[in-house]
Amino acid sequence: MRYIKLPSENFETFFNSLKEWGKVYGPVKKGSIYSFQEVDEVAELALDYTRTILPPKKFFVRPRDTMFRLKDGRWENGVEGEKFVLFGLHSCDIHGLKILDRVYLNEPVDPYYKARRDAALIVGISCMPDEYCFCKSLGTHFAMDGFDLFLHELPDGWLVRIGSVRGHEIAWENEELFEDVTDEDLKHFKEFEDRRANAFQKEIPQEGLADMLDLAYNSPVWKDYAEKCLACGNCNMVCPTCRCYEVCDRWVDAYSSVRERRYDSCFMESHGLVAGGHNFRPTRLDRFRHRYYCKSYFDPSAGFNCVGCGRCDEFCPAGIEHVKVLEEVRGSLR
Amino acid sequence: MTGNPYQSHDARILEVKDLTPREKLCTLRFLDPEVSERFTFKPGQFVIIDVRGFGEFPISLCSSPTRKGYIQLCIRKVGRMTKFVHNMKEGDVVGIRGPYGNGFPMENMEGSNLILVAGGLGMAPLRSVLWYALDTGKYEHVWLLYGTKAYEDILFRDEIIHLLKHGSSMNCSVKLAYEVESPSCIYLERGFSDKVCRGVVTDLFRGEEFDVDNTYALICGPPVMYKFVIKELLNRKLSPGRIYMTLERRMRCGVGKCGHCIVGTSTSIKYVCKDGPVFTYWDALSTRGLI
Repeated sequence: MRYIKLPSENFETFFNSLKEWGKVYGPVKKGSIYSFQEVDEVAELALDYTRTILPPKKFFVRPRDTMFRLKDGRWENGVEGEKFVLFGLHSCDIHGLKILDRVYLNEPVDPYYKARRDAALIVGISCMPDEYCFCKSLGTHFAMDGFDLFLHELPDGWLVRIGSVRGHEIAWENEELFEDVTDEDLKHFKEFEDRRANAFQKEIPQEGLADMLDLAYNSPVWKDYAEKCLACGNCNMVCPTCRCYEVCDRWVDAYSSVRERRYDSCFMESHGLVAGGHNFRPTRLDRFRHRYYCKSYFDPSAGFNCVGCGRCDEFCPAGIEHVKVLEEVRGSLR
Repeated sequence: MTGNPYQSHDARILEVKDLTPREKLCTLRFLDPEVSERFTFKPGQFVIIDVRGFGEFPISLCSSPTRKGYIQLCIRKVGRMTKFVHNMKEGDVVGIRGPYGNGFPMENMEGSNLILVAGGLGMAPLRSVLWYALDTGKYEHVWLLYGTKAYEDILFRDEIIHLLKHGSSMNCSVKLAYEVESPSCIYLERGFSDKVCRGVVTDLFRGEEFDVDNTYALICGPPVMYKFVIKELLNRKLSPGRIYMTLERRMRCGVGKCGHCIVGTSTSIKYVCKDGPVFTYWDALSTRGLI
């Protein structure tokens, strides 16, 4: 890893230089919530944001995404890759994108996702956890790769980690804005990380979690929570790693049609429905459990499918907490 | 196939044949000879039919890769899309993409006995296996145990009756179980008294002996059928690793992206479209919710 320092006074110039790469999207405060929006000026940014409602997956797998356009009875490709900058991603969201990469960049490569992924410049930013965050216990609180630049807050600027050649090139073009990292900066960096490590209020011990959950398949806790759950699918929409999609052919007018994919939710009754009316996940209990199993699936080579961002907790209208559900299910084994 | 994996290739419907009042057999060929040449598949794989502007649906291949130049799909009319395809005529063009899924490991099973257990529409993918086995002749003996509702519902009826008559010369035994009695069934039962009976598919195991160390069972049918057939096979001490089943799930993409066909729990998430649709019974034992 290469480390450099961006002094506070150069931050704005650096930010503006990113616009040469493409449109810049960053966290913006809207009322009481945060959202990734196009940003023109530094003043619009809310760099101390906790979490946005929709994770950055919305830039790569759009809520509604045109795959093809019908032309003379054939599908015409709609792959596009306009360059853009995602500014201010937290470590958990970078890990979320890496999980999506495993799905979409695996053979056969999804051309839509790949084009947008290649076109995106990712700039991470350090954060302080709030009461919902549990990324530390999943090991996703620190990103080692998956970004081009990562900014760590210092009292008088930013410690910048360079994670890719592209990131290096961008820093290189603006060489005069950066300084070398001093010992004092490293001390501040370490202090910040220590303070942050102690600020987590929630954790999910992952030791043996996958096995325990599998063993607790018939636990009554699932049932209790399935009754509380409204099956609205909010948690799917806001999850940085949920990526189920439904495909629909839509007639734009009498002559032209597009094939679109849209976010789907495993809480919908149609998710497991097949032709002829058989449903493989007929009850809400089945669907509730399915989501938790999918998120807690432990891939030996990559870890869990959950990054601990806390979105599903914060935006659940029924107040169901991910960690609490898993803890109680595990507890019911004893 | 290169490029966009969601792009389908034009295929012309060469023939549409009524198999039953509900099922039609479509024979298709790719318009582009190069695509046609490149399109190879294994029994048990499936394709996605793309009616551009209306939608897509997955369907298993029921012809055999040994018969080149065309593919056949057995389509039951159950919904909007299949109804649309049923109304298509010979000469019409649809999109096809695939083949997808793992298919049956036909090469590993060479030299062994095969027991094909089909229930209803489950006959379609197993017909691919049956043809493949008979065409290549690389298998010791092939049983086809086929459970159907009524005489009218027997898929590939002429082929089944042909094999009832002449199967023994090809090392192939076909047995048929039907549920609803009708004059035609009684006629069949009289003609082939040891091969046709009224009952369910598990009744067909009666009187059959097979060497469990050199036999594979391949099952396809409605979800409820698996439990009973597997019980019968396990009673005969067939190893769970020798029992293959092909499963159905909602599939949108066919390539492990859309997430609908995910099964399993925290220790065993699988995509039916990509890791399946053929699984062993051992997979089912170690993956909750597979059957």
